Amino acid sequence: MLSSREVLQEKKKNLSSWLLSLPSMIWLAFFFLVPYLIVVFYSFLTQDIYDVKFEFSLDAYRQIFTNGYLQPFFLSFKLAIYTVVICLLLGFPVAYYMARANDKLKNTLLILIIIPFWTNLIIRIFSWRIFLSYSGVLNGVLMKLGLISQPIEILRTNLAVILVMVYVYLPYMILPLYSVLEKLDFTLLNAAMDLGANEIKSFFLITLPLAIEGIFAGSLLVFIPALGAYLIPQLVGNQQSLYIGQVITYKVKNIPRNWPMASALSLTLLFMVAIMLLIIYAIYRHHLAKRSS
Amino acid sequence: MENIILHNISKDFGTFRAVDGVNLTIKSGELFSFLGPSGCGKTTLLRMIAGFETPTEGSIYLGDKNISDLPPYKREVNTIFQNYSLFPHMTVFDNVAFGLKIKKRPKTEIKDRVHEMLKLVKMEDQANKYPDQISGGQKQRIAIARALINKPRVLLLDEPLAALDLKLRQHMLIELMDIHDAVGITFIYVTHDQGEAMSISDRLAVMNQGKIVQEGPPDDIYERPTSIFSAYFIGETNLITGDVYKVYDDYLELHCPDGTGKMLKLDSSFHKPVSEGTRITLSLRPEKIAISRFKPRPQDDINIIKGQIEDILYLGSHTQYIVRVGKLKFRVFSQHKRVYFDDKALDWEEEVWLFWHDTDTWLIEDNPLDILTDAELDDNGNLQRYVKRSKV
Amino acid sequence: MKLSPTKVYKGLNLTAFSLVMIFLYIPILILIVFSFNDSRIISGWQGFTFKYYIQLFHNPAIGEAFRNTMLIAGLSTVISTTLGIMAALGLENKQFKARKGLLALIYTPLVIPDILMGVSLALLFNFTRINTGMVTVLIAHVTFCISYTVIVIQSRLEGFDYSLVEAAADLGAKPHYIFWRIKFPLMLPGIIAAALLAFTLSIDDFIITFFTSGRGFDTLPIYVEGTIRRGTITTINALSTLMIGFTLFLVVITKRIRKILISAL
Repeated sequence: MLSSREVLQEKKKNLSSWLLSLPSMIWLAFFFLVPYLIVVFYSFLTQDIYDVKFEFSLDAYRQIFTNGYLQPFFLSFKLAIYTVVICLLLGFPVAYYMARANDKLKNTLLILIIIPFWTNLIIRIFSWRIFLSYSGVLNGVLMKLGLISQPIEILRTNLAVILVMVYVYLPYMILPLYSVLEKLDFTLLNAAMDLGANEIKSFFLITLPLAIEGIFAGSLLVFIPALGAYLIPQLVGNQQSLYIGQVITYKVKNIPRNWPMASALSLTLLFMVAIMLLIIYAIYRHHLAKRSS
Repeated sequence: MENIILHNISKDFGTFRAVDGVNLTIKSGELFSFLGPSGCGKTTLLRMIAGFETPTEGSIYLGDKNISDLPPYKREVNTIFQNYSLFPHMTVFDNVAFGLKIKKRPKTEIKDRVHEMLKLVKMEDQANKYPDQISGGQKQRIAIARALINKPRVLLLDEPLAALDLKLRQHMLIELMDIHDAVGITFIYVTHDQGEAMSISDRLAVMNQGKIVQEGPPDDIYERPTSIFSAYFIGETNLITGDVYKVYDDYLELHCPDGTGKMLKLDSSFHKPVSEGTRITLSLRPEKIAISRFKPRPQDDINIIKGQIEDILYLGSHTQYIVRVGKLKFRVFSQHKRVYFDDKALDWEEEVWLFWHDTDTWLIEDNPLDILTDAELDDNGNLQRYVKRSKV
Repeated sequence: MKLSPTKVYKGLNLTAFSLVMIFLYIPILILIVFSFNDSRIISGWQGFTFKYYIQLFHNPAIGEAFRNTMLIAGLSTVISTTLGIMAALGLENKQFKARKGLLALIYTPLVIPDILMGVSLALLFNFTRINTGMVTVLIAHVTFCISYTVIVIQSRLEGFDYSLVEAAADLGAKPHYIFWRIKFPLMLPGIIAAALLAFTLSIDDFIITFFTSGRGFDTLPIYVEGTIRRGTITTINALSTLMIGFTLFLVVITKRIRKILISAL
């Protein structure tokens, strides 16, 4: 039991916590929570030809399942999975190499990864347009080498979208992987080899399980933005295969605006992300539960 | 018999030679230690036997098989790592089972063998815990079980007790010896702690600067050091340098300058031929010197010198006196604080007599490079400087 | 020297690292080189020129977009960092009743795709009939920056050595003195890291700005995207090179900031 003096002290501390965090709370409530409530509200409204009508309907949701909206969702999901897997396969050896470098080299390598990371997103996408375009550098080089006789269309393909996604999000995978691998005690690998595991076995039995938190973190950091990608498909993809980010944006930006549809699509995307997070959280919990039982 | 034979082993790291031409045979079933200061090459040597490093020159044999180029997972050698290196994401059971699972042994066999091993190290009831849930001493036991389950021919132990506190260390030392007796395989033990090495080993090798300075049973190295380095590194000692004045059948007469211009006349036994006029260094262990307020009765084979107490350190089991003789200093261990019939203990600045039997000194070196002006006292800087200049 | 599996393994990692480096830097290098290329089309080198840089400085639209970007970035950094410092200090009290709720509010925006924040804010402004423009963009930027500033500053506070506060109190310092002379200076690296992060995120943002800015209020990313779509890209090369230069300046030249940037990640 706390004495009355201690209770008073507690109250004072609680009051100052309230005062300090209230501004952020109000801000986030108004500009983060409330907007989502409005989105939920709008998703159940009816769309007239030109504007929203304040009448309840499930039209928007019905359309998602009937009017070909599943295709963009599927495309975005595929893109996110591809991007995560490729980033993981490329990022793991890179992070491993960085983690095992000596301290001086480590900092340099980290800077090399961070520079593109801190370079403006749109510029990085733009640089790929120059590299990949019809009259661009890659086509020029390939023609000079005699590998192709006339320029090929690389830009404006789904392949280009994946390529640029990987390019942009690779550092998001490398950095969390690096931070777990850097903490990994490499004598454990010596121990595994001493006990009869060869390089490949000790990788799968020791390195990989111990890097699992970094793999989860990196995959989430790549998966979430990839699922909602707009800019990259817009700038390096084509208009025949639309990703869900583009569809949502068009519903908001193109006249006539279709707010109910945009809202319903947004909530469906949010639902997908939530499911994904729950799955990963469940796996993670399972992983932790095993250790703390 | 499957001896470990190190044949002319050297290891370079860039321009640094960590191990320098080591030749050694470790007998099957032996508990052998490498003892030396940090950086002497003992751990590198161990890592080459384990397979984590490849020798720059020379070969390593296990029995008559050359294992120098085998990767660690193909050697019948297992290691206890300094920080145990237990896999943090596996239970105690899975850690111990690791080697058998790699070899794809049947489940029932794995279970039986793991329990058998856990029993050996008295950890049967901890099988389902994770490494971060058990104590340092328990981790140590698990590391041993994890290595021994593979039935290695040789077990390597890299400073296995360094992370434990003193009491536990002494306890684990005894347990390690018991386990060695129980499994009967070769143990190779690396440590910088001379107490550990002395108490646990059948034989040991003292190493310095990549070379083996001396090898042999602990008592041999303690009683009969062949170099100043091993005399200093194992136990503590007084070094006495002087010129041989006369050689008799079973002893020699020595003239030692005491630094003030006076000469100490001492007798000493000797175990190798020396000629008159050469300069030699002797080792005299502090516990072999007797100390007294009263002059002892002179005897032929007893050296008696007079000095003054400079320092007294009461250490419980014994007392250490630092006694000044001219400019030389002698370190003396006396098992109990000397109190005489007048009920007075020896005191600072008191004049005392030191005496020892002439067979208690041991001739280490002829023609030492330097005269030690005083027996350097527990001053590692000085010791290192001297050791570097001396012939290894 | 023999080729052991371990060495092959190491070699593979080095190869992977080098390839990824080439992958990360080649497009940027090409962009920089071509900003000096005296040609309207991209392929082929037609000679060195500075003319796009000159055009850049004579383009009033770019100038305005630049000013808008800096204004928004500056203001949203100040607001979000201030809110972040306060919230982080409030969260220090582990017994605080609303702690879990606030943490949830702070962390959730991070696990939701940006585009959804853009849509929801656009709808909010549409629903409440607020005209989009500078104010709405500022609100949006502060909203997505707060989470980052709170987290960065809070993680610094977690490693805070409270014995320093006790030591200061023991030596006779009053609470406000302790805060401004002991705690705040020790929080400062975290605060700077948070501010830098907020500033960069604000400059970098396209999608949320795209949803919340009205006609006539362009930031640089919005302007660049529009120009790329219209196809007049030659000055964009030059603009991009300058912006990359700015990043390099931040990351490489200023060693102090560099260290803070690393710790911010």
